[in-house]
Amino acid sequence: ERGGNNSFTHEALTLKYKLDNQFELVFVVGFQKILTLTYVDKLIDDVHKEFRDKYRNEFQQKGTLGLLNGTFDFKDDFMRLLRDAEESSKVRAPTVMKTFEQSLKSQKTVKCMIETRGEKPKEKVKNKKNKGSKKEGTEAVAVPGKASAGDKQPSVAGDREELTKDEILQKNREEFFKRHMKAGEKSSKSPKPEAQKEKGKKPRVWDLGNSNAKVLDYSNSATNGSAEACPMEEFDPEIALGDRNREPGRLYDLEYESDDEAEEEKAIQNPSKPSSKKGGLGGMFGMLKGLVGSKSLIREDMDPVLEKMKDHLIAKNVAAEIAVQLCESVAKKLEGKVMGTFTTVTSTVKQALQEALVQILQPQRRVDVLRDVMDAQRHRRPYVVTFCGVNGVGKSTNLAKISFWLIENGFSVLIAACDTFRAGAVEQLRTHTRRLNALHPPENHGGRTMVQLYEKGYGKDAAGIAMEAISYARNQGFDVVLVDTAGRMQDNAPLMTALAKLIAVNAPDLVLFVGEALVGNEAVDQLVKFNKALADHSMAQTPRLIDGIVLTKFDTIDDKVGAAISMTYITSKPIVFVGTGQTYCDLRSLNAKAVVAALMKA
Amino acid sequence: KMTFFPQLLTGRYRDTQTSITDSSAVYRVSNDKNANVTLIDLPGHESLRLQFLERFKAAARAIVFVVDSVAFQREVKDVAEFLYQVLVDSTVLKNAPALLIACNKQDVTMAKSAKLIQQQLEKELNTLRVTRSAAPTSLDGSATGGPAQLGKKGKDFDFSQLPMKVEFVECSARGSKGEEGDADFEGLEKWLARVA
Repeated sequence: ERGGNNSFTHEALTLKYKLDNQFELVFVVGFQKILTLTYVDKLIDDVHKEFRDKYRNEFQQKGTLGLLNGTFDFKDDFMRLLRDAEESSKVRAPTVMKTFEQSLKSQKTVKCMIETRGEKPKEKVKNKKNKGSKKEGTEAVAVPGKASAGDKQPSVAGDREELTKDEILQKNREEFFKRHMKAGEKSSKSPKPEAQKEKGKKPRVWDLGNSNAKVLDYSNSATNGSAEACPMEEFDPEIALGDRNREPGRLYDLEYESDDEAEEEKAIQNPSKPSSKKGGLGGMFGMLKGLVGSKSLIREDMDPVLEKMKDHLIAKNVAAEIAVQLCESVAKKLEGKVMGTFTTVTSTVKQALQEALVQILQPQRRVDVLRDVMDAQRHRRPYVVTFCGVNGVGKSTNLAKISFWLIENGFSVLIAACDTFRAGAVEQLRTHTRRLNALHPPENHGGRTMVQLYEKGYGKDAAGIAMEAISYARNQGFDVVLVDTAGRMQDNAPLMTALAKLIAVNAPDLVLFVGEALVGNEAVDQLVKFNKALADHSMAQTPRLIDGIVLTKFDTIDDKVGAAISMTYITSKPIVFVGTGQTYCDLRSLNAKAVVAALMKA
Repeated sequence: KMTFFPQLLTGRYRDTQTSITDSSAVYRVSNDKNANVTLIDLPGHESLRLQFLERFKAAARAIVFVVDSVAFQREVKDVAEFLYQVLVDSTVLKNAPALLIACNKQDVTMAKSAKLIQQQLEKELNTLRVTRSAAPTSLDGSATGGPAQLGKKGKDFDFSQLPMKVEFVECSARGSKGEEGDADFEGLEKWLARVA
């Protein structure tokens, strides 16, 4: 369920992985963390495609037996791909630079020409465009040198611009004539034919500098510089110039982007490019034959459904970042998967999301408190449980509920009042102790008091009280020690340090974080900061972190149960108890399926 | 589990990785009826095992529960917990598929015998059914394994008290000769033949 991000770091190595959902394969590449290899993503994509194409038959026809019996002699192919990737990464950087200059800077120079210079440099530029690409590159380097010299006098240029607008118009006209004649030659400028078409398309849309001529080129191919063309020409340059004066940087940004895209597509000559185009087309037709045949899921199909699910989850009180990550991981898991017949995208996505949610809520290792208490009993030491959380979530109330449950099961409890700050905390626990003893008098349990309170008043050090309580319990033979701490905000550094010290020094068997079900996005922040504080201030190699979550005030939310998801997602620890009211019997355990059903319900 | 899978199917030994998804194939049983059964291998990773169990439990005619005989002493609680979850599942109780507990890795010297494993599991399950039934009831009232009482109340838990047939068998996926040796799982094959 955490499939959202695809890299993993361990000591000195980083692993990146890619899932093939159609054939259920995982491709993993491992490399040293210190090397920043730019070609890793590309390499893994290439390997994925080659492997899949090469062994497609074996997967499809023979299924598992094919996997078991087939020999996958991929080593040579892999070495070849690795070499290609390494080479391409070395070569790519300089080539990008060159093509930049060729296309962008030369265009820039033309504009600069229009703004500030006379006719001669313009002709030079045009002549260069007629020659081969490399030469263009080198010569275009020289020209920007001159152009930049011109740029260095902005104020002067500005004056000159305004003065020579008529001149500029005239120049544009001449330029138009010349370009029109050399339109054919220009098309051969670019080395790669396919990409050049795209470059031709994009600059036509974005590039205001050249688009005058080009747009007019295509629309007035028949005419030859007649008077009709001129009014249009007057219109365009003014706008173009005007904009450039006001926001010189902005236009360049657009051009940069478009050229960037054009550059990238030119440089990457992969089979991936045509296949991705095919995929796009296939997606469109796929929707038509979605009902009949089996098609594989692509991102575009899933995006609207995922958006809706994400909003639905957020409406159910799941933290926003968690909802986003969940939808990401579901998308990654389903991408490329072949859907069965008569299943819609919505239903597949919903089911995958449901599975992911159940997976999150069902604990990896179920926390069986009673079992662990029995173990501790056998070793003749008390089982220590610590409750921590922010203010007002219900620590003391749920502590009382849990002690009631333990007493019902025949274990004696010592309550340690380590909340030495809040007024009435100790009295509250004393009242609970009295009530519990009234409910379970010593006569019923062989003469021993089932519940006792260990307190040292207010203002003392909580960690010290906890330690004394635990040794007292060991001496007196109590089975469980429940330690109640003061509520504290996760941002309060000194209090977090104090809590971390208490937990590190006393080494409790179970650290429970008490969180209320009403919390929204705050849950993420609380848990992260609590865990971080516990990890930072612990001296041990493996610090004690939060072991479980108690979700309280569950009766106050009817079906907005998202807080459960947020909390378990962040910590990967199970929800041990759920508090559903103020009486001693309002203690439940989590039913993952019911919660997920409530979540997914419209 | 993953080592058994290809060996039963193809007779060859393969190196395995931790699985993240199930694998299934058809296996030809060598008995008189020459029946075919589909073997499904489920991943054992703790975050995945429940999920896959859910998916396949309804279709199971028989369950092979593989136990690591060497690490058993350390992991007895985890093993028992998972076995408990398998046993109290309502679908499993309803269908009562035949259950084989295969004590694997018998080729290692420290392996525990099947008898010992059986006793230990019975003791542990005995404790578990007490603690599990005492757990707080679930949110919507349905108890977590409460009504499904394993075995008879009042008496110590015994595998014979279960509604399904349970057998213990010792086996070794690697064989005593090391990695490439013949695996020692005739018991497993015979049981499969009987069940099919």
